[in-house]
Amino acid sequence: MSTFSALSAVLVIGLITYLSRAGLILFLAGRELSSTVVRALQNVGPAVMSALVVSILAGDEGMDGLDLPELAAISLAVFVGWKTRNLILTLVVGMLTLWLVAALLTNV
Amino acid sequence: MGVAISESAMPGWVGWLSSSIIWAGAAQFATVSLAGSVSWLTLVATAAIINSRHVMYSAATASRFADQPRWFRWVGPYLLIDQVFAMTAAVPDLSGRRFRRYYVAIGLFFWVGWHICVSLGMAAGSVVPESWRLGTAPAIMFAGFVVLGIRRWPGAVAAVVAATVCALTLGMPNRLGLLVGAIAGVAAGAMADTFAARADAG
Repeated sequence: MSTFSALSAVLVIGLITYLSRAGLILFLAGRELSSTVVRALQNVGPAVMSALVVSILAGDEGMDGLDLPELAAISLAVFVGWKTRNLILTLVVGMLTLWLVAALLTNV
Repeated sequence: MGVAISESAMPGWVGWLSSSIIWAGAAQFATVSLAGSVSWLTLVATAAIINSRHVMYSAATASRFADQPRWFRWVGPYLLIDQVFAMTAAVPDLSGRRFRRYYVAIGLFFWVGWHICVSLGMAAGSVVPESWRLGTAPAIMFAGFVVLGIRRWPGAVAAVVAATVCALTLGMPNRLGLLVGAIAGVAAGAMADTFAARADAG
């Protein structure tokens, strides 16, 4: 890949990224949103991010990208997050579960 | 990420600059790893699709920027990554100067931390062994954000439907399943909200 095409792609993607974030903030900032819209938007975060979890775990291999240690780690992390509302603890428990289950599977 | 840049078909310095210019982990990762193997247009389109979730972040965060000065409305969006969005949503009561300080503090924290990590990763190459499975850490982090971000049960419906639909559509090109799952989740959440409102009224 030439320097020019690499740099131009990065610049264009950067611009698209900025516009995707700035557009509605600049456009909507002066207005009030209806309570229905506000309520619907509260679900945007959980929806996008939980889809992102699946997408990251799967990688580019589709369903084959998911394995047991990952599923165990996510399940336990979700449970800990729900019970404790503590993000750091959630991450620590999730990673520990991941390593533990992976180690158990390789040694059995 | 640093490792991915050092293995990319792009010149190293362009890859390094992409941290600041793109400033969106997932899109940057896709750009750097796809470079050289797909056309210029495919590269840009893929990143745009991955980033389309930011439009929803922008819509969801817009009301928080309503009382902010003009310069902040222009600069703020640049910092609006997944983590900043999640942490902003976690403190719905902050406004005015306190919101601005909080937002800039977390934004800069991630920005500086990311640039240091990418530089270290590029310098060190793949020193961290594959068996540490650090690639799963972001997924666990996002799962935590999802759980902590859910205030009412329709939010849980949105999250479960989004994850399920995304898993079912993983075969779609350009990771389009991510977007399809998210939209299905938002729609399901909205339906659940309508149902909840009716139940409250009745």
